[in-house]
Amino acid sequence: MMNRDTSSPKKPLTKHELNQIWYRWGFTHLSSMSYEKIQAHAWAYSYIPFARKYYHDEPEKKRRLLKRHSMFYNTEPQTGQLINGIVASLEEQIALGNNVSEEMPVNIKATLMGPLAGIGDSIIQGIVVPILLSIAMSLASGGSPLGPIFYIVTYGILGPMISYIAFHSGYRLGVNAIDIIVGENSKRITDAFNILGVMVVGALAANTIVLKTIAKVPLGGKTKPLESVLNGIFPGLLPLIIVLFGWWLVSSKQYSATKVILILTVIVTIGCLIGLF
Amino acid sequence: MNTDLLFPALLTGIFCYLGAIETPWLFGMSGGFYIVGRPLIAGFLIGIFFGDIKAGILCGLAVQAVFIANLSTGGATNSEITYAAYGGIGLAMATTKNPAIALTLAILIGQTFGLIFYNGRMALYSFWNNRADKAANENNDHGIVLNHLIYPQITTFILRAVPVFLAIYFGKGLVNWLIHSIPQEVTHIIQVLGGVLPALGIALLMSIVIKNKAHLIFFMAGFVLLSFAKLSMIAIVFLAALVAYLYYYASAHSNGTDYQKNESSQGGTGSTDTKDEYEDDDLF
Repeated sequence: MMNRDTSSPKKPLTKHELNQIWYRWGFTHLSSMSYEKIQAHAWAYSYIPFARKYYHDEPEKKRRLLKRHSMFYNTEPQTGQLINGIVASLEEQIALGNNVSEEMPVNIKATLMGPLAGIGDSIIQGIVVPILLSIAMSLASGGSPLGPIFYIVTYGILGPMISYIAFHSGYRLGVNAIDIIVGENSKRITDAFNILGVMVVGALAANTIVLKTIAKVPLGGKTKPLESVLNGIFPGLLPLIIVLFGWWLVSSKQYSATKVILILTVIVTIGCLIGLF
Repeated sequence: MNTDLLFPALLTGIFCYLGAIETPWLFGMSGGFYIVGRPLIAGFLIGIFFGDIKAGILCGLAVQAVFIANLSTGGATNSEITYAAYGGIGLAMATTKNPAIALTLAILIGQTFGLIFYNGRMALYSFWNNRADKAANENNDHGIVLNHLIYPQITTFILRAVPVFLAIYFGKGLVNWLIHSIPQEVTHIIQVLGGVLPALGIALLMSIVIKNKAHLIFFMAGFVLLSFAKLSMIAIVFLAALVAYLYYYASAHSNGTDYQKNESSQGGTGSTDTKDEYEDDDLF
């Protein structure tokens, strides 16, 4: 597309320049993270080569570009690359002189960062990382280096891959990507992923929490260890009770992590002193 | 100079910086916070530095279980996982190599010094942010690079690598003394607590993935598959994927058909006036 104002035609972004925007964000998204700005300046940083390519002789346009990409921004930085891809396609259109307003990228960023943070956090922090870690932890039991190596390799491939695919899908689809993010089908997929996450977290609870009672109970004239009686009824009953209690404190009572740690410490201390654990 | 401890302590400090949430060098959060920052990986790495990989991984396992759901949403965090992992495991490896001690130290460090340093660093970064803003306003590319990347990273390196190195190098004696003067009963309580505290991590995780109380049944299913049926984690992931697929399939066929009709009829008319649609709060 030719630019009307200047005689020299502006060329679209090359694959390399596009990847430059991707990895500049990919590396530095949180490198100047404060509560006021979070990921704001990573945008300006990732658009420096872009600004040099298109606006080297138009300082006012360059200034506007850098300023609109220095505003508060916060999303899940790996899945959130989808937004970076959409914005890259819009900024390219603006630079080529096509009919896209300069507010468009700003609006897209402001409206999409929330929903994508919600989806991204529950997929990355709620599902992918805990599943890979729980597999790694079961492989590492007994001190085997296989567990950590498994996690380093799998997440080392998966994390950047999610980021790369998200960015390039966003760029390819442009604003059409928004329908996919907020569409009904994406909600169903997220819900299904949540079910997967909930089941794995259940298994994780049974796998990681250890609580055994050392109390003995009188049973048919003799005393038997309470633990073996409980195991006959429901293996892992005590860990289950403690995790459901913790969940109730966190979700219904809205207690902070520090408070829950203190409560659990009190329970364990009393239990140990009266000879229960 | 205790050279035996110098290099392991130094490396632990440097990796405490490399695993931090704000470190860019390992592809941002992907390789930093989500890999090097995980206590299991920290245990593995510290094990290598101290020449005892097995003990390192065992310490890492104990700490990882508690911090399995370390959430960082909107910059706020419930505890500082990187200081906790590198400070706690590093100090434990320099002294007793006992996983329960590593866990206790990790929680203490994460909830106190970790959070103080973390929030202090967030506040300091506002200063660099203002300068990066000014640089953008003045078309100063170089200023953006300096104030977004270089200066903040020097700040965080000083705030992470230095205290962790000092704590391990000079804290060894103090921790040793503490461990030896702790009575038997307290050690027992710490050991039991080490088994119970993962419940906090799991509970935090449950609070983000369980969006509907009825979904507790899926949690129970996962729990009993491990505790009754003694299946491995990998087997359970595949069963869970099957259940998730069935859930997706069922939800597509129960109310999806009317919805798809609605969507396609709306799509024809609504696709042109895009801007209004994005700004409609109800959409999100």
